[in-house]
Amino acid sequence: MADKPRLKLPKQAKKGEIIQIKTLVQHPMETGLRKDPDGKLIPRKIINKFSCTLNGKPVFSADLEPAIAANPYLEFTAKVDESGTFKFTWVDDDGTVTTTEESITVS
Amino acid sequence: MPRASILVAFLTAAGAAQMLAPVVSAQAPSQSSEPAPLATGDAAARPWKRYPGWPTRDTASFNTLADQKLSPPAPSAPRKLEGPVTGDPAIGAELVADRTRGGSCLACHVMGQAGNADLPGNVGPDLSEIGNAGLKDEELFNFVYDARVYHAETIMPPWGTNGLFSDAEIGHIVAFLKTLTKPAMFPTEVDDPSKRPPPVETRDNLDDLVNPGLWTVEKAQQLWTTRGPVGFSCASCHDRAEDHFKTWAASMPKWEPRLDKVLGVEEFVYRHAQVATGLSWLMQSSENTAMSVYLRFLADGQEIHVDVTSPGAKQAYERGKALAAAKVGQLNFSCLDCHNPERGGLHWIRGQWLGEQRGQYDHFPTWRTSQQDIWDIRKRFQWCNVAVWANELPPDAKEYGDLELYLAVANAGLKLNVPGIRH
Amino acid sequence: MKQVSRRDAVLMGVSAALYLTVSDAAFATPAEAAAEIDKFTGGTEPAQGNISIDLPEIAENGNTIPLNITVDAPMTAESYVSDVLVVADGNPNPALAKFHFTPLSGRAVAGTRIRLAGTENVIIVAKTSDGRLFTDRKQVKVTIGGCGG
Repeated sequence: MADKPRLKLPKQAKKGEIIQIKTLVQHPMETGLRKDPDGKLIPRKIINKFSCTLNGKPVFSADLEPAIAANPYLEFTAKVDESGTFKFTWVDDDGTVTTTEESITVS
Repeated sequence: MPRASILVAFLTAAGAAQMLAPVVSAQAPSQSSEPAPLATGDAAARPWKRYPGWPTRDTASFNTLADQKLSPPAPSAPRKLEGPVTGDPAIGAELVADRTRGGSCLACHVMGQAGNADLPGNVGPDLSEIGNAGLKDEELFNFVYDARVYHAETIMPPWGTNGLFSDAEIGHIVAFLKTLTKPAMFPTEVDDPSKRPPPVETRDNLDDLVNPGLWTVEKAQQLWTTRGPVGFSCASCHDRAEDHFKTWAASMPKWEPRLDKVLGVEEFVYRHAQVATGLSWLMQSSENTAMSVYLRFLADGQEIHVDVTSPGAKQAYERGKALAAAKVGQLNFSCLDCHNPERGGLHWIRGQWLGEQRGQYDHFPTWRTSQQDIWDIRKRFQWCNVAVWANELPPDAKEYGDLELYLAVANAGLKLNVPGIRH
Repeated sequence: MKQVSRRDAVLMGVSAALYLTVSDAAFATPAEAAAEIDKFTGGTEPAQGNISIDLPEIAENGNTIPLNITVDAPMTAESYVSDVLVVADGNPNPALAKFHFTPLSGRAVAGTRIRLAGTENVIIVAKTSDGRLFTDRKQVKVTIGGCGG
């Protein structure tokens, strides 16, 4: 599963401001194309979906394939019109869902 | 049982930790100006086994940094050939691009369109028109077989003498070289090693969303307060790491007269933690690397200045300097062959830039994106050895200590910037 | 031993760190990349432009190459960039990622780090909520290690 989400975003913003958000989780993003030393194919295991919402409203999401590098990193922007809570979600091939939240104060 | 007894009981039971200065106090001593107690014995796994996933070839019959009397000597004169060289230029074209034999000729030479000329290097001369140079077959053969017969100081591997290519294969290569008569055409400037811009590292290595190497600092901060079998943690004596280690790592490596060798941060961490805490953080363990990153990270921004004034340190430096020039491995390269700008340094080996010695120490341990792992300088030395087809030494080898001291002097004045991030 | 292709060699570089060897996976062709794009566009030819792709011209390995894209289009409730497809025409699977934006995204920008199996083209296709399509591409040269391992 995704381990230890790392986030970078401002704690405060002005109404209508477009802020930058950077996210990363620790994950090997195993491609499913590699073999172990015994020649056995290692099953694919990746983070296949990421989403970010603000107060429940979708801001940005992504469908990821095995060609996204290990420790998947995503940066994007959000237009903030109200204070509230960002929720970040990562979905693993094995069904594990990792979430984390971060609040922002808009003035 | 009082702590001192626990300590003694542990040390006796463990049997391994002979100490240079016994810790006898029941209370953890505060950090003092006395020399730090250090464990003796090996600081890395024995017998040393090469890392899983690394090339498994055993090149025991060629020079290593510990023994430079193994490789075959250079021939005293060119080989005499009877008649012209016979060979198939098509086979030769494949051989010059064969990366299973020491990186291929294209690693160092532009050779027209050979191997589709995908990002060739420029350590050696452009051979695109070598077929017009009027060289005899025998000369071409000998240049490939062992160029030392023409230029004693050449950095070109002795492909024939060291058994990398057979006579018949060199014949094919010569046949191919004779077909090279037109200048190379490069589709873009980056294809041309004389115009390709050297890489500039612009990533913020101290941003944890950029450099996974930085995550080891978090691990080390946990280890700092982890008590070992002795009952002490690092914090027992050095309560706040950031107060005690603002400059220390910038003065390493250091000649250690008690052990008659140079200790880098990694070896020091093992030897001191072993005695002081009972934890066995052997070199190349994840704990050792994390702690070594952390101790350097705490001294980031400090200029590297190592002591080479004591007689022992001076001698170690001189040995390190000689080791940097020592030819090792089946490919017969020295450190300087690739990293001195008068040789291969500041040139392209295939699509990779060979840096000079200055700038090759201040960021270690460094995250390697190609390996998805953090490497300390000793592992980097080991890799360079294996890459030139020399058997590596254990990470705590005395020779690596001497070499590290020499390298640190070449980097004197640069500011520590750890962990780095590189390809 | 099987002839080692440049792509295998690059992937072996990746796997060396994890003590594994790469399988004999087939690699995508430009035609497969085009098919992936057709699925996204419904067969409509996208217009060239309105996209800036920030990728290095030359990458020292294919493991983690920074990619940043910006689609120059309004981001209002009436019309916004809704989806962006990222494909590469030489990877084992052509699709790399799809990004989904909303007016709350503020701008149609996204950054990630990608794996490329060798020197190949990265192709970006963007779709707006009112059905417009844009595309652009950029080649990345993935270098070959000097020492050969």
